[in-house]
Amino acid sequence: MTALTDSGGNEPRGLWSAGWSRFRKNRFAVAGAVIVLSLYIVAILAPLLTPHDPIAHGDLPKTRYLSPRTGHPLGTDKFGRDVLARVLYGSRISLTISFLAVAISVIAGSLVGATAGYAGGIVDTVLMRIVDALMAIPRLFLLLTCIALFSRSVPLIIILLGATGWMATARLVRGQVLAIREQDFIKAAEALGAGRRRIMLRHLLPNTLTVIIVAATLRIGGIILAEASLSFLGLGVPSPIPSWGQMVFGGRDALLDAWWVSTFPGIAIAVTVIGYNLFGDGLRDAFDPKQGA
Amino acid sequence: MARFLARRLVQSLLLVFIIITINFFLLHLAPGDPLARYYHPDIAPETIELMREKLGLDRPLIEQYVKWIWSFARGDFGISLQYNRPVASLLAESIPNTLRLTAGALMLYIIIGVALGITSAVKRYSLFDRVSTVAALFVYSIPSFWLALMLILFFSLKLGLLPSSHMQSIGIEGAGHFAMFVDRLRHIVLPAFVLGVASAAAMARYMRGSMIDVLGEDYIRTARAKGLPDRKVFLKHAFRNALLPVVTIIGLSLPFLLGGSVVIEKIFSWPGMGRLTVDAIHARDYPVVLAVNFIVAVMVILGNLLADIGYACLDPRIVYTRVGESK
Repeated sequence: MTALTDSGGNEPRGLWSAGWSRFRKNRFAVAGAVIVLSLYIVAILAPLLTPHDPIAHGDLPKTRYLSPRTGHPLGTDKFGRDVLARVLYGSRISLTISFLAVAISVIAGSLVGATAGYAGGIVDTVLMRIVDALMAIPRLFLLLTCIALFSRSVPLIIILLGATGWMATARLVRGQVLAIREQDFIKAAEALGAGRRRIMLRHLLPNTLTVIIVAATLRIGGIILAEASLSFLGLGVPSPIPSWGQMVFGGRDALLDAWWVSTFPGIAIAVTVIGYNLFGDGLRDAFDPKQGA
Repeated sequence: MARFLARRLVQSLLLVFIIITINFFLLHLAPGDPLARYYHPDIAPETIELMREKLGLDRPLIEQYVKWIWSFARGDFGISLQYNRPVASLLAESIPNTLRLTAGALMLYIIIGVALGITSAVKRYSLFDRVSTVAALFVYSIPSFWLALMLILFFSLKLGLLPSSHMQSIGIEGAGHFAMFVDRLRHIVLPAFVLGVASAAAMARYMRGSMIDVLGEDYIRTARAKGLPDRKVFLKHAFRNALLPVVTIIGLSLPFLLGGSVVIEKIFSWPGMGRLTVDAIHARDYPVVLAVNFIVAVMVILGNLLADIGYACLDPRIVYTRVGESK
């Protein structure tokens, strides 16, 4: 962290506080942050926000496919379950899965990228060719292949989403490390006798931290969409657990008569992804101006 | 140029080789015995051992690996467990359909993306520019399967304007070429639009950025100073140069389109590779899944190669040389 502020040169306030004030001035970024924050609050407070159970079946067939009304503001689904309750509880699944999957992919990607960039030579070549090969396979195909080979569960989905998303981070971090590797403070650390491991973990990775965090935030939206697509195909989160993708799929049978079953979970996905993308764009513009388009 | 081509080709082959290897190890990571589905009280264990021997599953791993690579390289992807047919023939049926859908999406998104991007760049900071910026973000963030359902709900179920599934109507074959063409066109509009719309948003952003860069160049100022009308400056001078970096984006969008086709094909009952894959996964039909994986990867690598070549051909300034190598 100190290296970060020091390398900022003559900036009196330090990179973090300067970035933060830039972030606050960006209306879209603040809107994104508010959306993301509210989503976490909703996920935590879900039981307080709705009296309905998201999993237990309703009084069939009386409460099946009720249109939106008082008591069921977003209507009910095929099994008489309250759509609002399922959307609220569904946020837990989307947020948990995306957060953990991004954490896995970012940690794995950073380690691979930093190793490749710092070690160079044959290690670099081999690692980056594997990255190229994996990136040539569209992510959904890679996910589907792995799902075909193992049996489905929430932890597996998290691991697979993480394991299929580290390649881009690896490339990014490698590029950063290559740029930083030749700077004086790394040479100084080497001259002081610091080991390779220490240089990588204490000097190289912390200096790529802003880039990594920004990339991770921007990637969460994609992961939420990937999880939703899997669940929509019936290959994601197993059945009774409320997941947005699966709920959209569940409403497919009665699209014309009960449009609300598919529509609202879809809106929830869209709002979440928009929130993360705005938040991520804002972070990038505030903390990493060079990366901006 | 020839040298660059040769090097890119070797690199691509190397990638294909790595992907076959990854596929092999994925298959061997899978828990369980591949012959487990033949276990049955009526089948003697000796018979299963005989099968194992015949299929070469008792051989050392390295020997199986070499065999695997050899058969993949020849286009022999094994037998589908689900249909009991060669995987290659299943692929031969579904690949053209996926390509047709992808090509439709590609055309649609290039036209929409380029048109929107250029208009945004030319009328920078106008209302149109702002609206299209917000719309791009929105389109990029909504799940494609949801958009597909909403469009089906509106255009197929409520208005009855467009068909909601399959590639063509039943019994259309006898209706003549033109009727068949119109029928197929009506079937492809919705899936191709949903598949391409997110890429169109990305394309519009890139095109806008590229166009704005070019509009700042000296030769544009010169063209304007000469008194050329705006229209001519934009279309003749700026547009062609702004298009260059965008060519690469088209190549890079291929994995995105092919990945998206999985979901779209499932929704619209489009008989392509994506639907084949999803059905194969539900049936645990590994040979099909791995073969599709391989084919898709080859398509993506080929797409990138073509994008690189196209870029080099279009822009005479680009000379591909190794770093440190003199021209």
